[in-house]
Amino acid sequence: MNQIEKKSDRLGESYTLIDHPSGLRIYVYPKEGYHTTYAIFGTKYGSVNTTFQREGDSSPVTVPDGIAHYLEHKLFESEDGDAFARYAKTGASANAFTSFDATCYLFSCTEKVEESLEILLDFVQSPYFTPQTVQKEQGIIGQEIRMYDDDPNWKVMFNLLCALYHNHPVKIDIAGTVESIAEITAEKLYDCYRSFYNLHNMALCVAGNIEPEQVIRLADRLLKPSKEQRVETLFPEEPDTVVKERVEQKFPIAVPMFQLGFKEPAGNKRATAKQCALTDILLEALASKSSLLYRELMDAELINASSFGYEYFEGPGYASVIFSGESRDPDKTAQLIRDAADQMRKNGVDSDTFERARRAVYGRNLSALNSADTIGNAIISLSFADRELFDYIDCIAQATLEEINERLAQQLDTGKSALSVVSPIE
Amino acid sequence: MTAINRQQICNGVHFSSVPDSRFKTGRITAALMLPLKRETAAANAILPYLLCRSCREYPDFTALNQKLSELYGASLYADVHKVGEVQMLCLSAVGIDDRYALDNQSVSRELTSLLCSVLFDPALENGVFRNEDIQQEKRQLIERIDAEYNDKRSYAKIRCEELMCEGEAFGVNVYGKREEVEQLSAQDIYNAWQRALRCARVELIMLGNSDPEQAREVFEQAFSQVKRENTADCTTEVVRSAQKVSEHNDSMEVAQSKLVMGFRVGIASPDEEVPAARLMTALYGGTPHSKLFLNVREKMSLCYYCSSRYDRYKGIILVESGVEQKNIDKAREEILRQLEQVQQGKFEDSELESAKMSAANSFRSVEDYLSGLEYWYLCQTLEGALYTPAESAENIVNVTRQQVIEAASRVTLDTVYTLTGKEEQS
Repeated sequence: MNQIEKKSDRLGESYTLIDHPSGLRIYVYPKEGYHTTYAIFGTKYGSVNTTFQREGDSSPVTVPDGIAHYLEHKLFESEDGDAFARYAKTGASANAFTSFDATCYLFSCTEKVEESLEILLDFVQSPYFTPQTVQKEQGIIGQEIRMYDDDPNWKVMFNLLCALYHNHPVKIDIAGTVESIAEITAEKLYDCYRSFYNLHNMALCVAGNIEPEQVIRLADRLLKPSKEQRVETLFPEEPDTVVKERVEQKFPIAVPMFQLGFKEPAGNKRATAKQCALTDILLEALASKSSLLYRELMDAELINASSFGYEYFEGPGYASVIFSGESRDPDKTAQLIRDAADQMRKNGVDSDTFERARRAVYGRNLSALNSADTIGNAIISLSFADRELFDYIDCIAQATLEEINERLAQQLDTGKSALSVVSPIE
Repeated sequence: MTAINRQQICNGVHFSSVPDSRFKTGRITAALMLPLKRETAAANAILPYLLCRSCREYPDFTALNQKLSELYGASLYADVHKVGEVQMLCLSAVGIDDRYALDNQSVSRELTSLLCSVLFDPALENGVFRNEDIQQEKRQLIERIDAEYNDKRSYAKIRCEELMCEGEAFGVNVYGKREEVEQLSAQDIYNAWQRALRCARVELIMLGNSDPEQAREVFEQAFSQVKRENTADCTTEVVRSAQKVSEHNDSMEVAQSKLVMGFRVGIASPDEEVPAARLMTALYGGTPHSKLFLNVREKMSLCYYCSSRYDRYKGIILVESGVEQKNIDKAREEILRQLEQVQQGKFEDSELESAKMSAANSFRSVEDYLSGLEYWYLCQTLEGALYTPAESAENIVNVTRQQVIEAASRVTLDTVYTLTGKEEQS
């Protein structure tokens, strides 16, 4: 068993990376003096993995939209009962989520950690689907979908993704639709399970009140060694251009909402830690509270502090910078952001702005190491993107002005931007 | 165990410190507690936002934020909480611990002095707050109020509280009403600030690894300049039981209907039965193994969420759910039936045990979050006894089956609120 200690002197932090013989990659991140233990067990399988081909199969299969999320719900049931009922005996607070590129099962607890960890490792490895149990979930997930139908934040985002992406499945709603989930059967769930819930395609992170030996002992006992199952997700060809520059939907809301996305070409490789670090600094320089753009948008009464935000939205085969918020005039807001992006690309970032942004991004990432759950979530998502936590923070600390300006030349292209608006019903 | 040291620094003003070296950051907060009243809600609510915008030393919003960025992305932020019938105005300064600064800057000293400046030494013009600042913050507070309508789940909850507690201070919106914000004059806001400094119950609290003595001296000095008057009465009126059930419906264009049921428990802080009421609510609908989750969601597949929340200050319980309009009656019936089960003691010892473990777990988890600990202790100061989260966990564990039944038997239904779709209505 290969065991590596990852250490950061700068941050005074360390964790252990274990390549377990079962094929699972395990991260154990002890936090001294913490009461809680947070564990997250995930697979690199999310809503975008809709068409895939397994090694040895003659042709690819396409599965119904929303199936990864459905599978997440159903995995909680095993032959001998429901995982929540088992956690009820340990006091752990458990949950799960499905994103575009991952499905994760997690818990947080302050006692009986090994019992809870045993439940987690066991139920995720024990699929049990019958026509009856699959049927029962239609009502519950149907109501979850209806809840998203009423959520303007959700709508404004997916409308934007549909405006940015011609073919990439990132534009498909994670939960699917009431119609698409009606096509889901026990057999299809097993099919997806066998393709993606292979320990070689998964990762486990335990952070907080925990030691590596505890996790290894349980892993040795509970992980079922598996032969690596190679599976390739096939993404359709995606043009560099956007589909539409503007989309709008009416909604029962009081303040209009917007998302403005700048699409970037994305190949099969995920962005590197360095690229992400540079982008985070760039966005801080462009649009944080200390930026000129933020000031300009505020002075024009176009944004508010409680909703305005931005992020680098990046995953397998897609990458965009997205700005979002509430605005009385989304078009004017988008125009000012686009102008500022053009201006910045033309003139570059100056050294004072760069230094302020670098410090601010560094400080915020350092703060994130306060919490075991933030650490666990970050390590899993970085693991699936082939990035590493301390490397990412080092990239922030070591970033230079030249690198920032080089990175800027590849991003924030207004020619490939789209605006999504959700506005009140008159 | 993370304990608190609290001392009075002048009439109605306390300074507390919670020394803790586990975190990468530190925080210091000034909480001004005032009775929630219709006449003063809006003027009080705008205050923390307005104060955190600038100060005499940094009159320019952008310059202030650039200063914070240089302090490794420190932040100065405002919050308004409703704690029972108390309006709690919070101004917080959060930044990295001095140990992690890339140079040898003392971030904590600078933040203490900034917090003191924004609270006591704002940028004024003609003896009142500047018009430009007021206009910006009025607009943003109005957008905050308007945005409550955007999220239908929380909107339904707010509506139910407002209707159930009409005529009680608890029914007053913590941000005030739109029109009340619009009508605020510069003088009104200035007076509210002066009144808050003189009369509010003030809790200053510092958490982290920095020296609290220095901060205490800075604030003691600042408050010595204030002519403190009688400290405002921060109590909450408790209605012990409902007289009759009132029903309310709003309709709008939504896909999913919301059902919120408001109950009076007759038990509120500082009653000694509070832990029993808390545990009863957890057993009833507070966890994924509670009665409501297992029956309304899992067994009947009526919804994605159905949960209960206890407000220990006001002594009420709200049950919230999102359901199809045609299923509202069925859900309502089942929610009441499950309450009867608890009242009649029809629950297994294992259910009680699970609820205890789950509640104790969430208390103990508080200790691993700086902001969680801070809010915990701020609320505790309103309740007389300063329990640590671990002590409260202990109190829950000691509750008996009989005490749960007694607490449940005091619950009466007060208000049923539904938010339904327009199309389906006949």
